[in-house]
Amino acid sequence: MGREKEKEKPSEKALNLLRSRLADPNFIFKPLSDSPDSNYSKLKFIISTSVTEACNNSILLLGPRGSGKVAVLELVLSDLLQQYPDVISVIRLNGLLHSDDNCALKEIARQLCMEHQLLFSKVASFDDNSQFMIAMLRECGLAHKTIIFVLDEFDFFAQGKQRLLYSLLDAMQSVNSQSVVIGVSCRLDVDQLLEKRVRSRFSHRKLLFLSPSKEDTERFMEHILSLPVDSSIPQNYTAEFNGRLKKIISDERFKELITTYLSFNFTIGHLVRFQAVSYMDLDVGFLSLENFKTALSSNQRQSKLECIREYKSIHDSSQTSDNYAANVCLRAFEHLLQRQLISFIDNKGHNQSVEFRPVKLLISSAELHQGLKSSHQCPPVTMLRAARTHLENPSAFWLLTPQHLYSVMH
Amino acid sequence: MPMETPRKAVQSPKKRKQSPNNDKSKQPVSLSIHLFPQTPQPPLRRSSRRSLHPFASKTIDQIPDLNRPTEAAEAIEKCNVKSVNTPKKHSKGTLNEEDSEIPELSKLGKRNEEAETTFSPVSPEASESKKRKRGSSKEESVKRLRILKCKLNTEDEEIPELGTLDEGNDEVAATFSPVLPAAAEMKKRKKGQEKGVATRAMSTMSSKKSMEGEKKKKKRVYYKKVVYDGGEFEVGDDVYLKKREDASSDDEVPEMEECRVCFKAGRGVMIECDDCLGGFHLKCLKPPLKEVPEGDWVCGFCQARKLGKNIEFPKPPVGKKRARTLREKLLAGDLWAVRIESLWKEVDGSYWFRGRWYKIPEETASGRQPHNLRRELYRTNDFADTEMESIIRHCNVMSPKEYAKATDEGDDVFLCEYEYDIQWHSFKRLAEIDDDDEADGECASSDEDWNACKEADSDTDEDMEYEEENARNAQARPSTTNQLAANSRKGRFFGLQKVGTKKIPEHVRCHKQTDLERAKATLLLATLPKFLPCRNKEMEEIATFIKGAICDDQCLGRCLYIHGVPGTGKTMSVLAVMKNIKSEVDAGSIRPYCFVEVNGLKLAAPENIYTVIYEALTGHRVSWKNALQLLNERFSDGKKMAKEDDRPCILLIDELDLLVTRNQSVLYNILDWPTKPNSKLIVIGIANTMDLPEKLLPRISSRMGIQRLCFGPYNYQQLQEIISSRLKGLDAFEKQAVEFASRKVAAISGDARRALEICRRAAEIADYHVKSQISTATSSKGKELVTMADVDAAIQEMFQAPHVQVMKNCSKLSKIFLTAMVYELYKTGMGETTFEKLATTVSCICTSNGEAFPGWDTLLKVGCQLGECRIIVCEAGDRHRLQKLQLNFPSDDVAFALKDSKDLPWLAKYL
Repeated sequence: MGREKEKEKPSEKALNLLRSRLADPNFIFKPLSDSPDSNYSKLKFIISTSVTEACNNSILLLGPRGSGKVAVLELVLSDLLQQYPDVISVIRLNGLLHSDDNCALKEIARQLCMEHQLLFSKVASFDDNSQFMIAMLRECGLAHKTIIFVLDEFDFFAQGKQRLLYSLLDAMQSVNSQSVVIGVSCRLDVDQLLEKRVRSRFSHRKLLFLSPSKEDTERFMEHILSLPVDSSIPQNYTAEFNGRLKKIISDERFKELITTYLSFNFTIGHLVRFQAVSYMDLDVGFLSLENFKTALSSNQRQSKLECIREYKSIHDSSQTSDNYAANVCLRAFEHLLQRQLISFIDNKGHNQSVEFRPVKLLISSAELHQGLKSSHQCPPVTMLRAARTHLENPSAFWLLTPQHLYSVMH
Repeated sequence: MPMETPRKAVQSPKKRKQSPNNDKSKQPVSLSIHLFPQTPQPPLRRSSRRSLHPFASKTIDQIPDLNRPTEAAEAIEKCNVKSVNTPKKHSKGTLNEEDSEIPELSKLGKRNEEAETTFSPVSPEASESKKRKRGSSKEESVKRLRILKCKLNTEDEEIPELGTLDEGNDEVAATFSPVLPAAAEMKKRKKGQEKGVATRAMSTMSSKKSMEGEKKKKKRVYYKKVVYDGGEFEVGDDVYLKKREDASSDDEVPEMEECRVCFKAGRGVMIECDDCLGGFHLKCLKPPLKEVPEGDWVCGFCQARKLGKNIEFPKPPVGKKRARTLREKLLAGDLWAVRIESLWKEVDGSYWFRGRWYKIPEETASGRQPHNLRRELYRTNDFADTEMESIIRHCNVMSPKEYAKATDEGDDVFLCEYEYDIQWHSFKRLAEIDDDDEADGECASSDEDWNACKEADSDTDEDMEYEEENARNAQARPSTTNQLAANSRKGRFFGLQKVGTKKIPEHVRCHKQTDLERAKATLLLATLPKFLPCRNKEMEEIATFIKGAICDDQCLGRCLYIHGVPGTGKTMSVLAVMKNIKSEVDAGSIRPYCFVEVNGLKLAAPENIYTVIYEALTGHRVSWKNALQLLNERFSDGKKMAKEDDRPCILLIDELDLLVTRNQSVLYNILDWPTKPNSKLIVIGIANTMDLPEKLLPRISSRMGIQRLCFGPYNYQQLQEIISSRLKGLDAFEKQAVEFASRKVAAISGDARRALEICRRAAEIADYHVKSQISTATSSKGKELVTMADVDAAIQEMFQAPHVQVMKNCSKLSKIFLTAMVYELYKTGMGETTFEKLATTVSCICTSNGEAFPGWDTLLKVGCQLGECRIIVCEAGDRHRLQKLQLNFPSDDVAFALKDSKDLPWLAKYL
C-alpha cells in the first residue's frame, strides 16, 4: 500500500525519469549533436553521402572510453535508418567476440542472411562465407543498398593476418559495392596496427571523440537533470525542482565538486556515472548539494586501504582472544592473497603449502603507511608492517614467506 | 538468302492491309486490350506471342523457292516431317491428339481475321466497330461450336500445308472458313502450354548441343547474326516486338514523328518535349524557336499542365488520325521490346530467337515512380522464345551513359538502368561493367528451369496438362522443394535474386550531382579509370611477357614476379593488360587462354589455392589434396581432362607471400608446374617485398626469381597526373591543391590510393562546408573549389596521430600523470618506470604545487586509462606497485601538448 502511495509521488516519478535518461545514450548525446562541427554531423554526413552517392568509405572512430563513440554512432545509424528505410543494413561485429577471421566472416554471413531473409548455413567454409559476402556486397550495391559494417573494438581485428579487414577493404575498392566500414577503438594508434596492404586500402578517415569543454559540461548537467515542463509530473514540483537545480549548479561549491570529480576522468561516460541522483532523498524530493557530495566521496574510495581494515571481521569470526593466533594469521594471509594485495612471486610450487611459498607485496610502502595510520590493532596490519620492514631491506624481500612473517610478527 | 525470301511473301499481303487498319492506333490502351477479340484477357505474354505458329506459313513459303530442287525436296520433306512431327512433339508434352490440331486452327483463325479486315468492303471504322461488337458477346457461345467444327473436318488441317501454294490463295480460303477469332484465342492459350514443352525440349537440346555438335540433322542451328526481312539482327540487339499477331498489320509505322501542332511529319527541325515526348516543329511553337535550346525543354502544353491548367493538345484535322510511332506504342504498352539473347533456325527452317523482355515502368509492381524518365525501360530476368516474324524493327536501349551521349539516334532510343526481377518485384542496377561472361554462364546453367518455373508461377490460368509439366519442373526449382542456404556455395549462392529494392530510391535519380560530388565519385578507389597513366612501361613489359608466353608454340611455362609497395598499381596493371589481351583474343589475333586470379590473403589456408585453381579451371570443387593431385596430373603429366585444357593457362597470384608455408611446398608446387614441358602454365606472382625469392628456399627462388618487375613508388608528377586524369573535365580542384596532395604523398609513401583518398577527403570536407552553409541559409553562391586548406585538413587528418589532441584534452590527473612520466624520464634517463616510482613523483609534484594527491588507487586507474588509449604502454593494473609503464609517444609530444595547458600552468616547469 505504501508503495502504491509512493508511486504517486512526483519525486518518485522524477527519479525514474532521471534514471531512464541516464541509461539512455540517445538522450544524453542528442544536445551535443546539433552543431556542424560535432562528430555527430560529420559522421552523419560521411555515412549519408555513401548512401546517396553510392560510394564506399571507411572511418575510424577514436577516443578514450566513455567519450561516446558508439553512442553517437548509434544515434547516427538510427537517424539514417529512419531517413532511408530499407536501403541500409547494419552488420555489427565486436572485436572481443569476433576477432578470429573465420568466426567474423561467419557472423557477417549470418547477419546478412538475417537481414535479407536468406537461409544461413552454419557449416559454410571460410571461402564460402567470404565469397558470399562479396557477392552480397555486389548485389546490394546494385540494388542501391548500403551495408554498414560496425567493427567495435577495432584493434582486435587488427591482429594476425587481418584477412577480414583485407577482404572487406579490398571488396570496397574493386566491386561496385556500396558499403561503409566503421571501426571503433579507444586505441589511438590503431591505424599503425594495420598491415601495410590493409593500411593502403583503408581510407584513413578518423573522427576523434574528445571530452566536452567545461561550459559544455555544465550545460549538459542541466540538460540531463532538469525536468521537462510538459510531463505528467506536477508543474509546481517541476518548477521548484528545476529552480533548486539551477541554484545548485550555479553554486561555487558545486563547481568545485564537479571539477574534482572530473579531474580524474573527463569524459561524458564518467559524468553520467556520477550517481548523485541515486542519493536523492525521496522524502525531500529534490536534489541537494549533499547528494553530490556523497556521490563524490563514494567515488573516491581507496579500496586498498579499506581492504586492510577488513581484518577485524576475520578476527571476530574466529573468536579467539589472541590477536596474533596462527590460524587467524593464516586466514588473514589468505585473505590478503585473495584481495591481491600480495601475490606469489611465481607460479611454481603449487603443491607446496601456502605457508612456504614466497610472496611479494603489491602495494607500496607509502600506501601501507597510510593504511596503518588508520588502524593499529589488526594483525594483518602488523603482518604488512612486518612485510614493510622487510621491504626496506630489499635483499630479504624476495624471500618473504608466511613463516618468515610469523617470526617477525611475534 | 533463303531466310529473306519467305518473309517477303508473307509481308506482301500484310502491306495491303496496313492502310485500313491505321486507325487502331488512336485507341486508348485499356480499350484495345478488351476490344480485340484476339486478346480478351490481359496480355498473357508468352502464350500470345507464341501463337504465331511457325510451320504453317513458313514451310509453304519456301515452296516458291522451288528452282533449287534439293532445297525444295528438303522443304517438302520438312513439311511432311513437320506434319508428322507435330503430334509426336505434343504427345511428349502430354497433350493429346485434339490439341495437335489446334495450332493449325489458330492459323486459320488468324488468317480468317486478317482476311476479314482486308477484304471486307466496309470502311475501316465500320469493320472496327463490327469487331468490337463481336468481341465479348458472341465469343463464348461461338467458341465451342467452332472447335467442334474444326474437329470435324480434319482435312482442313491440311489445307494450309498442301493445298495452298501461294499466300493469297490461302487467305482467300481462310476467309471463307468460318472460324471466329474467339477460337483462335482459345488455341493460343493451349499454345502457351505447349511452349513449356518446347522450352524443356530446347533446354535439353542446347545442353546436349555442345557434345553432339556433329549430328547436324534436325538440329537447331544457332547464329550470331541473322538477316531477316531486310534487317540485320544480332545477338544483343534490342527490337520491338508485336504484342498481338495482328499488331504489325495494325498500322503503318510512321518513320517520322508528326508534329503535335500541325500534324505533318518532316519539313524542318523538330524538337521533343522532355515531359510528354511530343514532337514539335520549331516554327509551330508559340513563340517559334530559332534553334534547339540547350538542356531540357518542356513544351507549352506540359508547362501549362504543370501549372494546373487544363489544356488539351490540338486536335488533329478531321479525317486524319495521328499516327503513333512505335515508341509511343511501346510506352503505352501496345508493343514489347526485347533484347535478343540467341538466334537459331528451327528444324523446320523457321527462325527463332530467345529474347529478354524489357518492361515499361507501368508494368512493374511499383508502377511508374515519380523519378522515372519518360523513355525508361527495365530489363527483366524473364526470357522467352519467339519467332522472328514478330519482330518489327530495331530499337535502341542504352545505358544511362550512352543515353546521355546519344544525340540523334532517332526516336527509338530508350534508357535502361535497372533490371527488374519479375519474381521478387525488385530492382537492381545493371552492373556498369557488364561482366557478360559471368552473367551468361550463370544464365546458361539456370535459365531453362528458371524460366519454366516462372511460367508456372505466372500463368496460373493454365489448364491441367501444364500442371504435369510443373510437377516435372518442380524438382529443378530451387526455391520450394529443398531450400538451400545462401552462404554455402554449391555451385552458386541461392536466394541472391531476392536482394533488390522494391522501389528505386528517389535520392538516386532525382539528385543532380554537383561538381564536387562528381569529383568525389571519380576519385573513388572503386571507379576504374579508363586508362592507367604512368605505368605504360611496366604494362608493356607485362604484355610482352604474357604474349610471348602464350604465342610461343612450345608454350613453355614461365613465371614473372612483380613487386612493389602497396598502392603502386601492380594488380591493376596486370588486370588491365589481361583485359587488353582478352580483346585481342576476341579479335582473333591471339589464341585463347584461360585466366585464373587468386588472392593469397583471401584464402583461408595456403593449401586452398589448389582448390581455387582447380575450380577455376574446371568448375568442380574438390578437396585441396584431390585438387593437388589432379592439377599435378594436368600440369606435370600432361594429362588433359577436357578439350579446352589445351589452352595455355595464366595464373595470377596476388599477395604471393601469404602462400609461404613452413616447408614452402605450396609455392614450390605452383612454381614447379611451369617448368614441366606440357604444362602451358604461366604464373604471375605479386607481392610487396622485393627480396621474397631470396628469402625462400633456393629451389623456389631459382624457379621464381628469374624474371622480375619492379613497381616503384609514384613520384609527385605521376601522382598528380593520376589525380588530374581522373578529374579531367571537372572544375573542382585548385591546381595547387592537387599538387600539394601529390607532393605530400610522394614524400611519404608514393601510394596512389593514399593520394586519391586525400583528394577525396578534401573534396568531402569542401562539400561538407558547402552543404552546411546551405542548410544555415547563408550561402554565398560561388564556384566551390577544393582549396589548399581543405587538402591540408585532409592531410592532417590522415597523417597526424590524434594523440596530441587527446593529451591536450584529457583530464587533470592524466595530465599530471603524463608530466610525471616525462619528468621521471628526464630524471632517470630510463624509458621504463614502475608505478611505485611514478606515484611518488606524482605526490611530490602535487604537494609542491598545491594540488591534492588523489590516492594510489585513483592514480592507478588513471594510468590504466592512459594505457587503454595507448598514450602510455603499461602492464595490467593488477600488478599494482610493480606495474611497468612507458610512454608510447616521444616525450616531446607530451611536452608540446601540455606546455600551455590553461588549468595547470605549472606543468610547464616539469616539461
